[in-house]
Formats: sequence, structure tokens, C-alpha cells
Amino acid sequence: MDITPVANPALDPVQFPRLEEVEYLPVSTKYRGMRLALWGGVQLLVLAICLTPYLIYKFGGEESMATMSAWYWPVGIQAVFSLLWFLEEWKGFPRRGYAVRERDITYRTGWLFRSTTTVPFGMIQHSELSQGPVSRKLGLNHLKLFTAGGSGNLRIAGLEDDEAQALRAIIEARTRR
Amino acid sequence: MSTSFDVPKRQHPLGVFIIGAQFIWKAVQSFWPILIGVTLGEMKWYYFLAIPVGVLIAGAFALWYYLRFHFFISSDALIVERGIFQRERLQIPFDRIQAVQLFQGPIQQVFGLTGVRVDTAGSSGSELELVAIRKAEATILQQFLNSKMSLAPETGEDEPVDSDPHRSERVAKPLVALGTKDLVKVGLSQNHIKNAFLGLALFMSLFQGAEDHISNWLDGIPAAVVSIVGLSFVLLFIPGLVLMGIVGVLTSLGSVFLRYWRLNSTLDEDGLKLQMGLLRRNSFDVPFNKIHLTEWKSNWIRRLLGYETVRIRQAQAEGSGGLRVFIPAMEPLHRAAMEVALYPDLRKEAVFDVSPARRLRWILLAAASVPSILLLTHPEWGNVILALCWTAFVFWTTGRRYGSYRLSVYIDSIVLERGWFWQTRTVLKMSQLQGVEWKRNALLERRKIGHLVFHTAAGQSTFNYVNRDQAAKIRDFALNQLHAAQPKNQSI
Repeated sequence: MDITPVANPALDPVQFPRLEEVEYLPVSTKYRGMRLALWGGVQLLVLAICLTPYLIYKFGGEESMATMSAWYWPVGIQAVFSLLWFLEEWKGFPRRGYAVRERDITYRTGWLFRSTTTVPFGMIQHSELSQGPVSRKLGLNHLKLFTAGGSGNLRIAGLEDDEAQALRAIIEARTRR
Repeated sequence: MSTSFDVPKRQHPLGVFIIGAQFIWKAVQSFWPILIGVTLGEMKWYYFLAIPVGVLIAGAFALWYYLRFHFFISSDALIVERGIFQRERLQIPFDRIQAVQLFQGPIQQVFGLTGVRVDTAGSSGSELELVAIRKAEATILQQFLNSKMSLAPETGEDEPVDSDPHRSERVAKPLVALGTKDLVKVGLSQNHIKNAFLGLALFMSLFQGAEDHISNWLDGIPAAVVSIVGLSFVLLFIPGLVLMGIVGVLTSLGSVFLRYWRLNSTLDEDGLKLQMGLLRRNSFDVPFNKIHLTEWKSNWIRRLLGYETVRIRQAQAEGSGGLRVFIPAMEPLHRAAMEVALYPDLRKEAVFDVSPARRLRWILLAAASVPSILLLTHPEWGNVILALCWTAFVFWTTGRRYGSYRLSVYIDSIVLERGWFWQTRTVLKMSQLQGVEWKRNALLERRKIGHLVFHTAAGQSTFNYVNRDQAAKIRDFALNQLHAAQPKNQSI
């Protein structure tokens, strides 16, 4: 006979654990400073590049730079992008956070471009903690979680040392199960 | 020659020729600009001495490589030692193997040998090729690896979804087999427009310099003749189009014959077996639990002929080649047979059945009516009529396109459908999901719309513009089903 009892499809979806109800843990506030410093650094660099032809023409007397001395166009365009980026960092930072449930981890990020990604522990192939020179000074860690195929990889940036270790321990334990 | 793989052994001695041919081919591929440069210059007879010298060097290296190449099977892995200057030892655990493929290029066909390609879930370059094995040996090796790899993740049959009655039949059921007539049909229903554009691009790049010559020549001839010349160009244009069409069709037919010659496929209880190809004959053996995504594609002509193409995708790192298995000319009954075997829950009722938010219709419409707006920037009678016609056409097609987007969630499978003229249907299993993402920008967030992204080991698939509440329900359900199936799917 080919009667196969299958889970009843008329399930009430409300009874499933809802992801919307989880509370997100914020990442370290030091990371906000780091991101803003990065923003400032890049802005200064771009500004310098935009202004160089003008400064050479104005103060160096280099006539060949005259055609490129219209500094307000590149600076104006840069100002728009810079503002958007700043808003993304400023308003996006409070939205940055992760939530650990029994069987999966969720990471939420972004203000203009928002994304909420959930990766089940069972699918994590390996994890990696990384620190650059600056984040090492600040005691920050970036946790990377790798899944098969690489499309679901997750990077949780700006974790305090002990927090990162704790999170990694949880992941190691849950992944092995 | 024994057929046991316990001790390190070499490939078949004739493999030296195949390795040599591969070396020569690689050398030609990397040095062809130099070769062409030399032939354009003044030719000396002694230049041709380079050919036997090159062949000799390639032969010596091939022999060396052949002697250093060993493979064997340990208790849990396939092990290969290879390399001339830099020796390496590859160890591929059975449960990491995604598929074992046998292939016969022209050389192998002449010598009655077979190549074996083993694909792993790693990044590109980690797959492994044995180029010359006796046919009987290769089949034994393929069967052995296949039994090992399909056993590995299976720990229990307690999941209700899996205990499908069709699986208990221990015979291989035939799936698609293509004869010459079918190949012609497949070839004729290829995307000729794409091929024609490829041809056009090639043509343009070849005749870049010709434009100047033509304009110089046109300047030289009397004004009265110019109009006649212009007319003749228009007359030439149409035969040119026809010629391009013919070239496109012939290319399509040729590539189809080369790839799918004598295609034959069977389904057995735990995998799909497939043979095809003319010059290079491939034989695939893909276990069901290593299939992470299936993509069904068809266009209007194919649907008239009553079939579609399926692409089977396995775990692979993004950007890496991985194994690409296409089966063209799947008729509805073939699709049913394959889906029963792969996704038995599709026969049950869908748990969720979702269409995108209505906003998508307006976005599609706005994007599609750009040409008519451009036309109206020059308001002449002809342009206005053309713009109106285009808008009407676009209204009709966007309605169809919008209606074609559909996300159906079953007990263990997700089906994403899109497209009206070119239809695509993607099926994936929730138990194989690597992650679920909810993506939107600030504007969409305000309207409670976003994109639902399913990350699988074979890449991501996205369903765009879903209402937030529906998406949240589907995400919760998918994660729940995924967790429920977890212990079974520890390894991919």
C-alpha cells in the first residue's frame, strides 16, 4: 500500500517560533567610533584628491591644471555620497545586532539597505575570528561564519573580546551537536 | 591488472598520450598570441623544428607526470599523489564528494579508456581528474564511490517525508533519452537571438577598421550614385540578417549535437544517472542528497513542443565552475518522475502560496515603458503611434509577467516561479538551506515590502517584493523545517 502518513500540512504558522520577536544584542559602541573614523579618513582622502588640481593651479601656478580646477563639481558629488554614507553609519549602527537562538544565529544590519540574515548552526562549516591592527588596539573582533557554497556567509563585526569568545564557544558547541 | 584500489597505482599507460595532449593544448592556449605573431612575420623553415621539439618536451613531461601520479582508496577517502616539481597529496573524504563523472574525449574513445572526474564541495581547482582508466575499472570506481557518498549522510529513515513508496523500488527507471529528431528539436528551440547577438558582436569586432575605408570610399563617389549605393546597402541588410539567422541556428544545432548526442538518463532509488556527448562523452552519477537546487527553464517555443530544460546544481563555491548538469527536453512526465523522486512532498498541498506585492507590477511597468518615454521626447506622429503601441504591449506583458511570479512553500520544498515568455522554476529543499535573509531598503521598509533570499550551498535564490508578514511566516516555517531535519543533514 502506498499510504504514507506525512506531517499535517494544515499547520498554523503562528505556532512556530517567530524570529521577529527575538531581541538583538548590540555590537560594541567602540565599533561605531571605528566606523566613523574610517568614514572620516576616506572623506579626507577623497577631498584631498578632489582639491589637488585646484591647489596646484592656484598656489603652484601650474597652468596645465587650469582645466581641472573646477573643484566644486567633484566636491559636491562627494558631499552627497558622504552624507548618505554617514547616515548609513549613524542611523544604521543602533540597528546592528545579532540574536542567538537555540539552533540559529541572526544578524541584522543596515539602515538604507537593510538585511536580516539567519544561519542555522548546523550548516556552519567553520568560523573565523579576525582582528586588524586598529581593532586589536580597541579590543574588537570580527567573527566570520562560513557556510557551504559561500552564499550564506555571515560577518559579525565589532565584538568585544570576551563577547566574541563566548559567541564562538556557543557556535562551536552547537555546530558539533 | 587488478581492479582493487587499496594500493597506490598508476593510470593506464596510454594515459601518457592523453596527458601529453593536455600539456600541448594548455601550452597552445597560453602562447597562441606569440604563435600567431610568428606566423604573421617572415617564415623560416627551421621555425617548424619548434613543433617536434615542443612535442618531445611535452611528451617527456607527460611521462614524468604519469610516473609520479598515483591514486588509491583508503578506508574513508580517495587519495591522489601527483606533481612534478611541487608534489601534492590530495585526500578527498567520501562524504565531501559531490558527484563522480566519467568522461571520454576523442582520444579516450580511440583507446577505449575513460576519464574520471571527482567533484568536491570546495572551491574551484579542488576537483580531481583521472584521465585514463579502463572502462570496467572506472565503472567499478564510480559505483564504489557512489555507494560510499550516498551512504554517508543517511543516518535514519525516520523522517516521514522521506519514506516515499517509489524509493523502495530497486530498479533504475528510464528518464529522458534523446534521438536525432529530439536533438534537432532542442537545437531549433535554443535562444537564436542570443546566438545572433554573439555573432554580431564578433562581426563588429572583426570589422572595426572597415568603417573608415567605407566612409572614404563613399566621399569619393559622385552624389547621385550615393543614394543607389545606400539603397543597395538596405537591400544587403536583409540578406545579412537572414545569413546571421542561419549562422545562429547552425551554431545552436551544432552545440546541441556535440553536447547532448545520444543522451540517456535513468533514475534509481538514490540518484540520477546520465550519459551524453559526441566528441567528449560524459557520464554523470548524481545522488539525490547532493542536489541542492534544480532549475527548470523553458521558453514559449519549448512549451509548444512540450518540454523544458532542467539544470541540476550541486554545492559549489560562488564563482567556481563546479558540476553543471543540464537535461534538455524534459517532458511533463519526466519532470513528474524526477520531482516524485527528489521532492516527494510536492504532491501534497502547499503550505504557503504567495504572490509578490502589487508594487512590483508598477515597477515592472515603469521599467518597461522607458522606450516609449524616450520616443515621446521627439513628439512626431510616427513616434507617438509607436510609443502608444509599445505602451499597450507593455501593459499586456507586464500583467502576464507580474502574474507569473509565485512562491510556493511545501512541507520540505520551496518552489520559486517567474517569467512568462521565458519561464524559470527553481526548486530547493528547506532541509538543505544554508541561511535565510530578509533584505530591503528604507523605502521598501516603510511600505512593509522586502526581498526574501534563500541561501543554498549551490548559490542563492531570491523572491522579490514580498509583504513583510508573509515573508516572516515563510521564514519562520523554513527555519523550523530546517531545524527539524538537522541531525540528518549534518554534512552536505
